[in-house]
Amino acid sequence: MAGSSIDIKRRIASTKSTRQITKAMQMVSGAKLNRIQQRATDYQIYADKVRSIVTHLANAQLLAQAGEVGNVTPNPLAAELGINLSELMVQRPVKKTGYLVITSDRGLVGGYNSTILKGMLDMIRQDHDPKGSDYAIMAVGGVGADFFKTNNMNLIYEYRGISDIPTFDEIREILSTAVTMYDNGVFDELYVCYNHHINSLSSAFRVEKMLPINDIEAEEDDTAAPVTTAYITDPSLPVVLATILPQFAESLIFGAILDAKTAEHASSMTAMKSASDNADDLISSLTTQLNRARQAQITTEITEIVGGAAALE
Amino acid sequence: MAEDLSHAITVKIVTPDGVVYDHHAHLLIVNAIDGELGIMKDHEPIIAPLRIAEVRVQRVDGLDHENHIAVNGGFMEFSNNVATIVADSAERQRTIDLSRAQLAKERAEKAIAAAEAKHDKDTARRAQVALQRAVNRIHVKQQ
Repeated sequence: MAGSSIDIKRRIASTKSTRQITKAMQMVSGAKLNRIQQRATDYQIYADKVRSIVTHLANAQLLAQAGEVGNVTPNPLAAELGINLSELMVQRPVKKTGYLVITSDRGLVGGYNSTILKGMLDMIRQDHDPKGSDYAIMAVGGVGADFFKTNNMNLIYEYRGISDIPTFDEIREILSTAVTMYDNGVFDELYVCYNHHINSLSSAFRVEKMLPINDIEAEEDDTAAPVTTAYITDPSLPVVLATILPQFAESLIFGAILDAKTAEHASSMTAMKSASDNADDLISSLTTQLNRARQAQITTEITEIVGGAAALE
Repeated sequence: MAEDLSHAITVKIVTPDGVVYDHHAHLLIVNAIDGELGIMKDHEPIIAPLRIAEVRVQRVDGLDHENHIAVNGGFMEFSNNVATIVADSAERQRTIDLSRAQLAKERAEKAIAAAEAKHDKDTARRAQVALQRAVNRIHVKQQ
């Protein structure tokens, strides 16, 4: 009996130290979640502005010269950036589909990664040839990259080590790679696959089409407030569009990455919270067991003493 | 100090990291693709892409009160006497870290040299843009 109560004591101590760690990680994730939510609000101002201007310009462009979007000379600035013109808006025949899959770099985030990877697998099985000739995957985050590599899926790009609160500067490499690949015809459409943050308890797998940009008109209906101002464009409408569209595409992808990171922190926080709760439960049941064992031992001792005393009389 | 707002426009600079600048101004001078562009009150609504260059803002409380901001491209939109500059990054003169900018410049120069040695045009072009950014920041800081 004595042996088992020592064992129980040991288990309680080790569970307590695990709980300490998971509690700390929960709080760290919580702090990161708060910070990234602040960042997301800041970013939203920017995204809204870009979107409203692009919507407006795109409508003006469509009215002015329907269909002529592709036939303008690229402006020097956009060319400098290695990004080509409003091809971003033209739907090409789709020979190859690109998926930008955002996962986390480390574990301890609950079901976060498995949801994404399972969603991806299902989608690819359904829509694509199993040999992988008609899709390509760009992975952001180590877990996804490793997964696609071991499964021999067509991984063309990987990026590891995004910081917890991503900045636009960091993401720029991913963005320009994606847009350049699209321009060079590595793929003809680009979907971004990530976990959308709903609230701190739940997130959902989401696939969004980023390139070519074609949802502009569709979305305008929801945003109500029609832009009535007629802008002068300097130097000309196509040139302005050519500069703004890549920026718009980049802002969309950056928004998705921010959203994914938010979901990651939330999911990590929830996972650590349930780990701490489990540790609490375990500790309380172990303590009960320990008390029982101790009580049993005392009872035996008393019985023995009483028995001994009775024998002496 | 009483500010005369009858001839003022509002200048806002928005980046993915939030609003970095929001003030009243008499005059806003930006570098558009085909030259400098000055904006004052009641300008026609306009949209113009910008170069990687300095943006100057003449504040309402005196002709000598000027703000300099290093803006990395993006574009400017002006309507209803509100000018919004939307760029992927922007730094005010007082927040620019000179040593960091100089490091960035050296890094970009090295990257250009490396890319040119390998005839990698894409990388060279990207490094060129990075170099412009760094030079612009240094230029704005050192005025």
